[in-house]
Amino acid sequence: MKKNLQKVMSLLCVSALSLSMIAGCGGSNSGTTTTDTPATEESTEAVEETVEETTEETTEEATEEAAEETASTDEGSTPRNETLYEAGQQWGTINDWNPMSANSNNGLALSANESARELVYETLFMFNALDGKLYPLLGTEYSWNDDQTELTVKLNADAKWSDGSAFTAEDVAYTYDTHVKYQSSQGADFSTYVESVEAVDDSTVLIKAKAENGVAINPLKVTSILNTMYMMQKAYLQTVEERNGEDADKVKQDTMEDLVHTGPYAPYISNDQKAVLQRDDNYWGQASSMWGKLPVPKYIAHTIYKDNAAGQVALSQGEVDVCQQFITDVQNLWLQDNLPISTWLDDAPYGACEVMPSMFFNVERKGLDKKEVRRAIAMAVDYEQIIASAMSGQSPTFDEYPRSVVGPTDGERKYVDFDAIADLQWENADVDGANALLDEAGIVDTDGDGIREVDGENLSFKAECPTGWSDWNASMEIVAAAGEKIGIDIQTYFPEASSFYDDMTTCNFDICMWSCPGAGVMNPYSKGMFYFSEEYAKLASNWSGNFGHYMNDDAEAILKALPSETDEAKLKEYYTELSRILLDECPAVALMYRPTLFYAVNESVWTNYPAADDGRNIPPTDCTDGYGIAALYDLELVE
Amino acid sequence: MKNTIKQVFHSGKFLFGFVIFMFILLTCLIYPIFVTADPLQMIGQGNFFKPGTYVSIEESTLEKSYTLQLPKQFSKLEAVLDIDTRAQIQEFLIKNAGVAESEIDVTDAEGLVALWKANYDPNTKYSGLTTAKRKALKRLDNQITAAMKDSGVIVAEKDEEGNLKQSKVIKDTDYVNINDVTTKTFLLGTDNFGRDVLTELVAATKSSLKIGLLAGLIATAIGLMLGLLAGYVGGLVDNIIIFITNLFTVIPAFVILILISYSVGDKARGIAMVGIIIGLTSWPWTTRSVRSQVISLRNRDHVNLSKLSGHSMFRIIFTDILPYIASYVVMAMILQISSGILAEAQLSMIGLGPATTKTATLGLMMQWAMQYSAHLNGSWWAYFPVVILIALISFSLNLMNTGLDQVFNPQLRD
Repeated sequence: MKKNLQKVMSLLCVSALSLSMIAGCGGSNSGTTTTDTPATEESTEAVEETVEETTEETTEEATEEAAEETASTDEGSTPRNETLYEAGQQWGTINDWNPMSANSNNGLALSANESARELVYETLFMFNALDGKLYPLLGTEYSWNDDQTELTVKLNADAKWSDGSAFTAEDVAYTYDTHVKYQSSQGADFSTYVESVEAVDDSTVLIKAKAENGVAINPLKVTSILNTMYMMQKAYLQTVEERNGEDADKVKQDTMEDLVHTGPYAPYISNDQKAVLQRDDNYWGQASSMWGKLPVPKYIAHTIYKDNAAGQVALSQGEVDVCQQFITDVQNLWLQDNLPISTWLDDAPYGACEVMPSMFFNVERKGLDKKEVRRAIAMAVDYEQIIASAMSGQSPTFDEYPRSVVGPTDGERKYVDFDAIADLQWENADVDGANALLDEAGIVDTDGDGIREVDGENLSFKAECPTGWSDWNASMEIVAAAGEKIGIDIQTYFPEASSFYDDMTTCNFDICMWSCPGAGVMNPYSKGMFYFSEEYAKLASNWSGNFGHYMNDDAEAILKALPSETDEAKLKEYYTELSRILLDECPAVALMYRPTLFYAVNESVWTNYPAADDGRNIPPTDCTDGYGIAALYDLELVE
Repeated sequence: MKNTIKQVFHSGKFLFGFVIFMFILLTCLIYPIFVTADPLQMIGQGNFFKPGTYVSIEESTLEKSYTLQLPKQFSKLEAVLDIDTRAQIQEFLIKNAGVAESEIDVTDAEGLVALWKANYDPNTKYSGLTTAKRKALKRLDNQITAAMKDSGVIVAEKDEEGNLKQSKVIKDTDYVNINDVTTKTFLLGTDNFGRDVLTELVAATKSSLKIGLLAGLIATAIGLMLGLLAGYVGGLVDNIIIFITNLFTVIPAFVILILISYSVGDKARGIAMVGIIIGLTSWPWTTRSVRSQVISLRNRDHVNLSKLSGHSMFRIIFTDILPYIASYVVMAMILQISSGILAEAQLSMIGLGPATTKTATLGLMMQWAMQYSAHLNGSWWAYFPVVILIALISFSLNLMNTGLDQVFNPQLRD
C-alpha cells in the first residue's frame, strides 16, 4: 500500500512538473503576450487540480513556477515589429537613471559626450559628426556676443516634460546650478569655464563664460554645454534634493527611477536579462517645430549579452537590429553568409573613423623619459599589421592618413599642413631605423642579454589595456612584438577594466592605451588637449588625456591660445605645430583609426537605416546618439 | 624488468596510446628541423587566412607563361549565375523593373543577363529595397560585368612621366608553372595575428608538453614524498600532512591556480613558471592515494622483517615500499601530465598563461581564436586542430594509463 502511494505520488509530481514546463515553453516560444497568458493560466489550473490530493508543497512550487512564467512572459516580450533591438551599449543590469551619477552603467539612456544619447534625456542641441554642426532640439538657436563672453540660447516653446509641464529656461539654469552645487563630474568640469547660466525669460537662456581680461578662457568648452548636458526638471530636482537632504553623495547616488524627462522614450523594463524603453506617445517632439511626428519604433530594447560573441550571434540571427560591437571580418556577414546586414560603408574601413586609439608613454618612468626610446618604439611598431589583423581592416592606414593631432575626417585635416611635417613621419615597422636611433643615442645592450639599458637598467616595460577588449589586446601584443625586435622588453598586461582605470587615471603605468575624444564642437582642440594638456596631467584622477604626464611649454602655450582663436590660417599654424611636437617627441602614438561607435545593422525587421551614400546627412550613431537619433523617425518595416 | 616492459607493450590499449603520443612527440621534434621559421612571426596581414597555397601574383605575371588549351571547366557567366542568383535577378526584374514574368527565362543565362543589363542601373535608388539588398544587387552587377568581359587582363607599367604603358596581356589560356614562382603553403591557414597555424601548433604542443611534464613531475614528486612520509611514519606527521592535504583538496585547485598566477604577474610567467605553478597546486590527490597505499603496505611481513633487521626508515621506504607502488605512481604521473596540459589551456583561456609574444601554447591559441570569434566566422582551422590536439594528448595519456593499470592490477587482467 505504502509503495503504491509513493508511486502514485511520484507520478503525479512528474506530471505536474512536466505540465508546468510545457506551459513555460509554450510561453517563451510564441512571442506574443495575448495568446500566452490564458494558456499558461489554463495549465496552472490543470496542475492545481492534479496535485490537489498529494502534498501541499508540490502544489505551491508548481503554481509558483507557473506564476513566474506568466509574469516573465507578460513583462518580457514586446511585439517584434514595434521594437528596435540594440546591442553593445548596455552590459549589465541598469543601476540608475541619474545624469549626475559618477558610477552609472546606464549605457542605454546616459551617454553625455559630444554626441549625447538622446533617447530619454535630451540636450539643448544635437551634434552631427558628419558636418560638425549643432542641430536644434530643446534649444532652437544660439548666438555668441561679439567678444565671445555671453552665449544666448533660445528654447523651443513647444518643449514639454514627460509630466506635461512646459520646459523653461528656469530648468536649464537649475540643471546647471545643481551640477555645480553637487560637483558632479560635468559640474566640476564646466564650472572652470562657465561663470553662470541664467534664465532671461521663459524661453531665453544666457550663459556667461568666465573671462580673463575680457577674453573668455575657453568659449569652445562653453559651447559644448549645449550638446553634452542633459536637461533635468527643476521641480523634480528639488524633490530629489529634498529626499536626500541635499547631501552631495546621496544626490549623486540617487537612482532617479521616478525620473521626469523630455526625451521620446521612457524606462519600461529593466532587469538582468534586458532593458527596454517605451515610447512616450505624448512626446513634445511631434510638434511641427521639431520632428513633426513620433519616432517609429514603439520600444527600444537591449538584451544584456554576456559578451561580444553573444551579441554578434544575435545580430546575425536577426534578433538584434543595430549592433555597436567590433565584429571580426564583418564583411563576411553579407559576402559569405548572405545576411541582410550592412555597415556605414560597403568596403573597408566599413565605419566612419574619427578617433585614434593611442598608446601613451609614462614619461616619469626611467627610459621612457628619453624621447629616443619613445620614438624608437613608435617607429618599430607594425601599424599595418595592427590595422589588418587587430582591427580586421576596419581602419584606414597611416599611409592614407599620415599621423598628426587631428583625426581622419576632412573637417579636421584641413587644420594641419601635412607637407610641413612630412619629414617627421616614419615608415611602417621601421625596425632598422629604430635600432639606429637607439644606437646613436648611446642606448645599447652592454651586458649581452639582448635588452638595451639606460644607466645600467634594462629597458623593460608593461603595456596595458583592459582585458577582453580584443582589438586593443591584440594591438598591444603587436607593440610587444615590435619591442622584441629593437631590444626593448615589452610585456603585455591586461587587468580587469577597473584596475586598468586606476592605473591610467593615476599615471601608474609604463605604456597604456586609450582613445581620444570623438568628433565634437571642440574638435580638433579636444584632441590637442588629449595629447598635451598639462591641466589634465595635474588632475588627481585624470580621465581626459595626457595620461603619461608629458609637459611641453610650447604645446601648453598653443593650447591656451587655441580656444579663442578664430583665424583659420593661425589655427592651421597652431595645429601643425602641435602635430610636429607630437611626432618629434612621441609622448603618445596613435595606433589606428576607429569609429567612435561601431555600427552594423540587420534589415530583417526594420529598414531605411542611415548609410553613407543615402544623402540624408544622418550620422551612423546607432540611431541613438546626437543627430543620429533622426534615423528613428525614418525607420520603416521591411515588407 | 624486461618482462614487465614486454608485458606492458602487449597491452593493446597502452600500445595505441603510446603510438599516438610518440607520434605527437616526434612531430614536435622533427617538424622544427624542416621548418625553421619563427612560429610567432606575423606573416599574413589580416585575420584567419584560409588553408591553402598562396602564389605570388606579381611573379606570376612576370614569369614566362605557358599556353594550355584546356577545355574550359566552366563559363564565367554560368559560375556567377547560380540558382539563387537567378532567382534574385528574376525577383528584381519583376518587382522593381516591371518586366512580365513570362518574358523571363531563368534557364537562359545570356538572355537573363541581357534583361538585367537593360533594366538595372547601378545609380538608381530602387524603392522598396533594403540597403543590404541594394548593395547586394550592386555587387551582383559588378560580378556580371566582370564575367561578361572578354578574356584577357592587361598589365601596364608606369613610365618615367607617369603614363601607363601596356606591357603584357594575360589571356585565359595562360598558365604559370607553380615551381617557377614563389609560393607559400599554409596547411592550416593563419590565425588572427596572421601567424602560420601549423608551425605555431607544433611549437605550442611542444611548450604545452613541457608545461605538462614539468607540472606532472613536480606534482608527483611532492605528492609522493608527502604520501610516503604520511603513510609510513603515521601518527602526528600523518595528521599534519593529511590536514594540509585536506585543506588543499577542499579549496578548488583551479582557484588557487588563478590566484597564484595573477599574483606572480606577467613578467615572470614563462613556460617554466606556469609549469611550476600548476605542479604546486595539483599534488593533493596523489598524496592521498599514495598514503593509503603505503598504509596497507607498511604492515606486510617483508616490511616488518626489514624493520627487525634494523634498516633505516629511508631504506625501508625506498627499497621495501616504493617498488610496490611504483607502477601506481607512474600511472598517477601520466594523469598529472594530462591534467597539467589541460590546466595550462584553461589558464591561458582566461589570459593568465604565458606571454603571447614570447611563446606559443595551445591555450593561448584557443584564447585568441575565441577573442576574434573564429568559431563564429567559420575559421575552423584556428581552433579545431588545437582542440583535437589537446584531446589527443589527454586521450593517449589516459589510454596508456588504463593499459598500465590492466598490466599491473591483477584484478583487471583478462
